[in-house]
Amino acid sequence: MRLSQKVKKVLDKYPYDISFIVDGGIVFLEGKVEKHHEWVEIGLKVGQIKGVEGVVNDLSWEGKKRSKVERPETEIDNKLGAHEIVIIGGGIIGCSIARELSKYRCDVALVEKGPDVAMGQTRANNGMVHPGISPSKNTLKRRLNVLGNAMYDELCDELNVPFKRVGSLILITPRTLEGYRRYLPGPLYNIFLKYLLPWMVKKKGQRNGLKGIEILKGSEIFEYESVLIDDVISVVKIPSTGIVDPYALTIALYENAKKNGVKFYLNTEVVDFKKDKKSIEQILTDRGTIACEHVVNAAGLYSDEIADMAGSREFTIHPRKGVELLYNKRLEDKVDHCLAELKIPSHPTSKGGGINPTVHGNIIWGPTAVEVESKEDTSVEKETIHEIMERYSSILPDFPKTEFIRYFAGVRAASFTEDFIIRAAKEVENMLHVAAIQSPGVASAPAVAEHSVDLLKEMGVVLRPNENFEPDRDPIDRAADMDENELKRRIGKDGRWGNIVCTCEMVSEAEIVQAIDRGAESFDAVKRRTRAGMGECQESYCLLRIAEIISEELDVPLNEVKKEWDESEFFNGIVRGEEQ
Amino acid sequence: MIDVVVVGGGPSGLAAASELGAMGHDVLLLEREDELGGLLNQCIHDGFGTILFSESLSGPEFADIFMNRIERAGVKVRLETYMRSVEKIEDHFVISTVTPEGVETFESRALVYAIGCRERNRFEIEIGGTRPAGVFTAGTVQRLVNLYGFLPGKQPVIVGGGDVGMIVARHLYLEGVESLLMVYPEDFFSGLPRNAQQCVLDFDIPYKPRTTVKRIFGDKKVKAVELVEVDKDWNMIEGTEKIYSCDSVILSVGLVPYSEKVEELGAEIDPATGGPVINEHFETTVDGVFSVGNLIQIFDYVDDAVKSSYTAAEGVDRFLKGSFDKTRSHTVLNPGEHVKTVTPQRIEYEGKDEITLFFRPGVEKENVEVRLLGKNGILKSFKKRYVRPSTLEDIKIPKSVLSGNPEVVIDVR
Repeated sequence: MRLSQKVKKVLDKYPYDISFIVDGGIVFLEGKVEKHHEWVEIGLKVGQIKGVEGVVNDLSWEGKKRSKVERPETEIDNKLGAHEIVIIGGGIIGCSIARELSKYRCDVALVEKGPDVAMGQTRANNGMVHPGISPSKNTLKRRLNVLGNAMYDELCDELNVPFKRVGSLILITPRTLEGYRRYLPGPLYNIFLKYLLPWMVKKKGQRNGLKGIEILKGSEIFEYESVLIDDVISVVKIPSTGIVDPYALTIALYENAKKNGVKFYLNTEVVDFKKDKKSIEQILTDRGTIACEHVVNAAGLYSDEIADMAGSREFTIHPRKGVELLYNKRLEDKVDHCLAELKIPSHPTSKGGGINPTVHGNIIWGPTAVEVESKEDTSVEKETIHEIMERYSSILPDFPKTEFIRYFAGVRAASFTEDFIIRAAKEVENMLHVAAIQSPGVASAPAVAEHSVDLLKEMGVVLRPNENFEPDRDPIDRAADMDENELKRRIGKDGRWGNIVCTCEMVSEAEIVQAIDRGAESFDAVKRRTRAGMGECQESYCLLRIAEIISEELDVPLNEVKKEWDESEFFNGIVRGEEQ
Repeated sequence: MIDVVVVGGGPSGLAAASELGAMGHDVLLLEREDELGGLLNQCIHDGFGTILFSESLSGPEFADIFMNRIERAGVKVRLETYMRSVEKIEDHFVISTVTPEGVETFESRALVYAIGCRERNRFEIEIGGTRPAGVFTAGTVQRLVNLYGFLPGKQPVIVGGGDVGMIVARHLYLEGVESLLMVYPEDFFSGLPRNAQQCVLDFDIPYKPRTTVKRIFGDKKVKAVELVEVDKDWNMIEGTEKIYSCDSVILSVGLVPYSEKVEELGAEIDPATGGPVINEHFETTVDGVFSVGNLIQIFDYVDDAVKSSYTAAEGVDRFLKGSFDKTRSHTVLNPGEHVKTVTPQRIEYEGKDEITLFFRPGVEKENVEVRLLGKNGILKSFKKRYVRPSTLEDIKIPKSVLSGNPEVVIDVR
């Protein structure tokens, strides 16, 4: 059957007048549906058809917000610079590619609209470095996930970023196949869950290229994780699963890439491209123009809009929100591995979710997976918080689930083909898409970067090794990690090491000043670099103390200190009579 | 070896340290800020000292009295001191501190924790929506306004009808905000009636009882909140949501004792108060470790907190002199019907002295009977004209009333 016939077959099942075009593996959908979830569903069904390389889903739904994107004007006369390769987007993907390219003699720049790197889905990620057992074969995801995971030890060692290979446990419980119970009467159900299913999971992992997978049964399960619910039937243990701090890693990649010559344009939003036929000559931004020879589209949630802007529409991003609960460090000892209860079919709003330790000792529950209309929808509702507490306490019933210290959400940049889209743009000669990188994006990032560089070479970029590349990066030292003598020595040289500003996380003034010296200009930028404000009290003690240090170091009044973005100043107004 | 280290230089710590110093003990007081006084420094309103000194002082004035006493009593003070770790080694404590001057370790025979509590934040009360700039705890706002001279915003919403919320409302009103709204889940302000009158009603500050904030809106800065009405159990009533424009949200929604450090030393924590379990001398379940002030329970009046420090100081004195009766006789005090918390939680020493029991009622009611129930029925009962959950109550009894009862329950009828 031809591709268009297959698409038609899918669309015929819906009571809507939907027109479509198939062009070089890309399916363009147009028409109107009633609900947003139908927009998602139809897109996904078309995306699943074999041979479809991308779905541009222009269907609208009732009540869809006509989001006429207001793009700022370009300062066309202001020439910001000229570079061989310009990366758009400063998330973990953009920064990984930037660092990878800095290993070569090549003039590279990165453009990021936010005031810092790691501002999108990167910062709202649970930090799991997936082993690569979930993605199905024949996906790019699977290959890059397994490769990327294996690259983590060396990468984090060079960049001095904490990384732990804690391993993960996939739990098979009486709830695993609840929906299919009637097909497995009597003892068959337990036998299947105890012997066959774990073996199948292990086989899948081995086919994906994973090593060291073990199956645990009976009491050996609880030797690994004592707090688990006692009805766990069998466990598949995967040793290669790791955990990392995703924004710390991204900041480290950024700092190291910068050190090796990559130019970063922060607070710079791409608004258009100037092309000559099928080739981009200039990137137009709200701050001026950047001439370039090649462009890498790593714009995350907005990669479809960047592709559109460049004249190569090939895919639509459907935003999928994930909410996480972060627990008090006091509970660190309760969970040692990444834990997930296997459920077939997976829960409609939580695929991929589980319970993870973090490198800082917090335990994290989540994420959910809910399709949302807006790419900026990172709100968290009370009902969701309770939903997460309920769902995951099924495997950890004795965990004090109400002792979370924060909740947050991120939005995944998912494509309708549900695979990474890493390829040369079809209609633009010098643009590489590195798009739709959602879970397991963190685990895959190092391999995505290498793969992207290979593709750039195929596109004609000549890359010669940079002999001066320095792989190492110095972290901000932490008072909390120092022994008494080391701390004493530091304080002897600089008393700010002994001024503990954030008492929950024991962060000193010296660390905060260092973060500012390294480019942090806002409270959240300082927080991500130092962990100040990330403890139990959630800034209620240190907010003013940190804001005061930022105000002094950057020489701005206290009421101009920002949380993050422009127009996010904390305080507004001066007490009567104190105007001077 | 120091006799006693007092951790925390707020009112309770100051009172305990000055009292112990006056008794002739070698006392070291540790404070994390660069000045003593704790919360008193940001409380520039008056109303402090009415019980102890029969006059209405401001927070700093009240603190001054104790700072003078500290000096006279020869208490050593270390400011800007972060307490990194405490270990109990045999019969003494090793305390490791960090200051801008260096790292210093002290050894002491006894420890008094007076580290108070922190404010509950938006995550602990599960406010939904976004996480923009402009959401603060009331204490942060007090410091911002009184010590730094800035406003949190021009159109704040205050959540919580307790004393701190009301006092902050008055400050913001007087310091020139453009609009102001208070919301709280109770039927009426839960703080002291005098504060409701003098802080809110006298200035016609708008307020909404039985209301809370369900969601916060705004990506970068707070733009609005969604208010919702609540029933008498504080459950949100669906369909009553209303959007209210504002530029900041100030939370005064309860306090959480800083009990982590005491817990690390092995002290038992009372889940009802959130603070350590103490005996009649404010000693925790770890010998030689005492704790006072808001770490034990939230006192309505600083005067009461200070008085409790005096009682604790007597206990520390007896501990240091070794005059505690080594055979502890136990009476455990438990909250019964309509009672949320009781302190002290245990009575451990025989004696003829009178003790003060604090309890927080779980009900709002007039003409109630407070009963102490032992193994053979009512040990003693008291009449109270009016009780409510937001007012801490106390009763004084001779210790002998409890003797022979391993468990005594306090209830309200």
